[in-house]
Amino acid sequence: MSTEVFSTEFWKAVAPEAILVIGLVLIFVVPNLGNSKFRIPLTKVQIPWFLGGRRFKFTGSPAIPGMLAAATLFTALGMMVIETIDGKMDTTTVTSGETVLLQIDAFSRFFEIIFLAAILLAVMASLDRIPANTFEGKKTLDELYDNRRQADLYILMLTTAVGMCMVALAQDLFVLFVGLELASLATYVLVAFHKESKAGAEAGVKYFIVGSVASGIGLYGLSLLYLEYGSLQLDVLASDWDGSILATIGLGLVLVGFGFKVSAAPFHFAAPDAYAGANSPVAGILATASKAMGMIGLVRVLLVVALPDADSDGSAIWLYTLATLSVVTMTWGNLAALGSTNPKRMLAYSSVAHAGYMMAALTAVGAWKWGEIEAPVEYAHAIVAAVLFHLFVLVAFKLGAFLVLGLLEMEGGASRLSALSGLARRDPLIGTAMFVFMLSLAGVPPLAGFMSKFLVVSGIVSASIGDLSGSVSFSDLHWIWWLALAMFINSAISVFYYLRIGVVMFLDVPEEGRRKPLPYGASIRMAIWICLVATIIIGLSGDTIIDMCYRAAESLNLG
Amino acid sequence: MLVGGLLILVAGLMAFFPSMNSSGETDWISIPLVGFPIVVSCILLAFASQEKRSRKEIIASPIRLFTLCASLIPLAISTALFFDWLILVDWDLMYNEYALEEEYLWIESIGASWHVGMDGLSFPMVWLTTFLVPVTIVMTWNEKHGATYFPLLLMMGGALIGVFVALDLFLFYVFWELTLIPMFFLILKWGGKDRRYAAQKFFIYTFCASVIMLLGLITLYFLQPESSGSGYGTVTGRTFDMTALFTNARSKNAGDSVFLGKDMQNILFAMLMLGFLVKLPAVPFHTWLPDAHVQAPTGGSMLLAGVMLKMGAYGMLRIPIAIFPDALVFYQDIIMAIGLISLVWGAVVCLGQTNLKRMVAYSSVSHMGVILLGIASMQPIGYAAALFMMFAHGIISPMLFAVCGAFKHHYHSMEIGDMRGMARWSPFLAVYMMFAWMASLGLPLLAGFVAELMVLLAYWPAYGWWILLPGFVLAITAAYYLWSMQRTIFEGGDEGQPPESLKGETPPDITLPENIGMIILAAFTVLFGIFPFIALGMMDDWTVALFEGVFIRGGI
Repeated sequence: MSTEVFSTEFWKAVAPEAILVIGLVLIFVVPNLGNSKFRIPLTKVQIPWFLGGRRFKFTGSPAIPGMLAAATLFTALGMMVIETIDGKMDTTTVTSGETVLLQIDAFSRFFEIIFLAAILLAVMASLDRIPANTFEGKKTLDELYDNRRQADLYILMLTTAVGMCMVALAQDLFVLFVGLELASLATYVLVAFHKESKAGAEAGVKYFIVGSVASGIGLYGLSLLYLEYGSLQLDVLASDWDGSILATIGLGLVLVGFGFKVSAAPFHFAAPDAYAGANSPVAGILATASKAMGMIGLVRVLLVVALPDADSDGSAIWLYTLATLSVVTMTWGNLAALGSTNPKRMLAYSSVAHAGYMMAALTAVGAWKWGEIEAPVEYAHAIVAAVLFHLFVLVAFKLGAFLVLGLLEMEGGASRLSALSGLARRDPLIGTAMFVFMLSLAGVPPLAGFMSKFLVVSGIVSASIGDLSGSVSFSDLHWIWWLALAMFINSAISVFYYLRIGVVMFLDVPEEGRRKPLPYGASIRMAIWICLVATIIIGLSGDTIIDMCYRAAESLNLG
Repeated sequence: MLVGGLLILVAGLMAFFPSMNSSGETDWISIPLVGFPIVVSCILLAFASQEKRSRKEIIASPIRLFTLCASLIPLAISTALFFDWLILVDWDLMYNEYALEEEYLWIESIGASWHVGMDGLSFPMVWLTTFLVPVTIVMTWNEKHGATYFPLLLMMGGALIGVFVALDLFLFYVFWELTLIPMFFLILKWGGKDRRYAAQKFFIYTFCASVIMLLGLITLYFLQPESSGSGYGTVTGRTFDMTALFTNARSKNAGDSVFLGKDMQNILFAMLMLGFLVKLPAVPFHTWLPDAHVQAPTGGSMLLAGVMLKMGAYGMLRIPIAIFPDALVFYQDIIMAIGLISLVWGAVVCLGQTNLKRMVAYSSVSHMGVILLGIASMQPIGYAAALFMMFAHGIISPMLFAVCGAFKHHYHSMEIGDMRGMARWSPFLAVYMMFAWMASLGLPLLAGFVAELMVLLAYWPAYGWWILLPGFVLAITAAYYLWSMQRTIFEGGDEGQPPESLKGETPPDITLPENIGMIILAAFTVLFGIFPFIALGMMDDWTVALFEGVFIRGGI
């Protein structure tokens, strides 16, 4: 169904996103409702104009922004889930005249669900991590400060959500870029949110500068593409693609921009500092939603657009480049994590490694698409579905791990491994949850992380085998089979540092100053519970999600 | 407290109502043997870990008792299945036929199902596991390990049974890895001085190998032809079902053709075998075992040596050998060499050990080499020998480790050089040590002898005069056992020489629960030594079925 932008069907189609924007506006407006009156000039008539003046007690409460943000995200997420859960979804295309701007289909909705779920969990954690202190009586400076910046935090989170949704829906690379920048700028500020601490400020500035440079390079690449083809629409680019020099360079530069977002080597250098300096819920958003956002870009650009014909010579170079990058990324991430003693930095490097795994899967799709493997299109759908599944379940256990670290931050920092010492004895439930998240990241069955790694490797192996059957020689397999081996070897390497967290939690004695039980934090604990349950249940019976991913991949139109 | 009690009640009820499958027959495997131990142990663990520190002491004893009762239920069921008391089980199975088979669809998109069943290869192992868990609990009854120790033993048992009954490759792998977690915790929380290192080494080493095995399984999976129907994945078009794989392999292997081609067979065989060889463990992949054993608590060692090592042998016999017989012939000499090296290396290294438990660990490596010899011989009696060795060693080595554990517990020392003449102070322990040591070195009328004899009988037709080497090494085996035994319990004159770790106290003898546990193991060792046909009947049938179904095919 095609609809003009800003028409009635348009608003019906983007209702969830509209709710996000409304929520955003409400966070601006509601805390500022007061008793100010507007006096008509030259008269004595005063009309109540509720913005400003002495703020009302109820709406001026510092807890309002958080509640609003959570409610908005929950509503939008609920609407999207209801729309996609039964598998019958109409595709809506939003045009402005001739240009196709947005497309609302299974693929975009799937990613929006990932984004909103991640940000909702982060918002729930922030309700406790940066609490709104509503009690009567004297508050400390920190508590007052936290109250002052409630609105800022949730405005930024909702802005991130809106930007990410725009990226998911975009069918025009420029619209995608606008959404990307919107979300990125908000995340830069979120990373630097704790400007009173040195780590926060430094991390924010680093991430901002590197991110801006990457975005600038990406924009330059987009401009080259526009110069070559006259349009930045995905379907125009896909049909007109001819692999010319200018277009290839432009594409390479665009990939730099997206590669930074996904934290692929060699564009990942800012990621560990950013994750370590940001507070844990924000780092969780970076690790899950931001990565998914970058992956949308990679998928759209690499798989839909930039596919040279089977007989053009450029294809092999692309394939080898992608494969090398993916192996370098995963190995670098795992080896660097081995040496980290800061849990957040370690999780950041593990994020880098996971980006490498997903890039290996994209290489497999590339190998199929670039005509080197004879196989029907279902194989490519299966591989893309595996990547989508991986991105989905990352929200469950990666964000969950960050939330546990957030709980530790609430009582005094989580930047040393010793912060986790004896966690299992202090709080068995949280300790077990963290251990489950670690095992899931390592890929131990029967958890969700195993399922996702298994699906990705299955996709790669199936692509390397292609259509062969009967008596097969090992050399008949496409060389991307070795990517699967590299992935599994890296998985084995990663078990060491994931297990190390478990050992520290279960064996070591809690450090000084952490002998009391963990902070209570109902909201953050509920978020951790949700992640734990999701990890276990999706691991045991992930069929619903796998089907959702497969439908999303089918709507991507790879053929 | 109340909630916990209710949960335990529910769990208890679960045991007595095994689920009905769709045709109305009861499913005796899924819940009673696999699901019940795992679920009950999880509930108990959740319960035990939530209690406040002061109450933990109080609930340790009831949990211990409850775990023992819970572990007796699978034992009762598996024994009853053997004697046909519950339902009449037809153990007369051809190759690729299974008793008590159940299948439930699990993950439709990739074709993984909960498919379980038992045959002559897996049932002895299942019975062994259900037997060892209560014996282990009884043996470690008096060790003050707290409330979470015993449920972990139960969970271990459940996961191990899951490995043996799984008839779906995906399910097999899930349970294979699931066994790592309780053992990791057992070593980590109640282990010796270097438990941190040993637990991590154990987990990572075996995980690395398993992951290569998984890659082999996935490659094998995608090399199957596509099909549709129930059990086949809706997205991938293939199934993980082992029975379908075996049927397909058998038909492709018939006559002169080779399933998947010689090249692919050899590579996949090597990948799969790697995972199993590390678990076995075979030299040179055995280095995780001595550390894991020495640092593990007694209960952990008993289950590790008794059942977990057999997982490797079971996997080997179940999957690669059955579907890649040509590759087996290709690698026959290499497997024989690995088995021989394991046998020799394990035995020779034992001679130099000063720590009793490390010596027993290396002797485990040595005995597992015997299994490889049986497999490499390609004789029916060799395979039956391998199976019986799995079973016999599964009864004897827990006893060995129990003796070591008793030394550790009562004497606080496992160093051979530390003590002399302990028979004077601990006659019971001395008797059990002598018995276990004799059983392990292959004294006739005890279970170990039957296995070793059968392997040697199979070796001659396969390798001729090479038989002298294992024969000679078995004599070395006797040497290290006798020597360590002689020093610790017999020498030292009238008074003996208690170890220094006792600090002058009177050396104690073993407690009643340890006595009971050891006498049960000893009785079964004698039983299967004098009447091996109780178990061998099923094993012989399976071996014959394997040979008729897989190895003998039109001309070969």
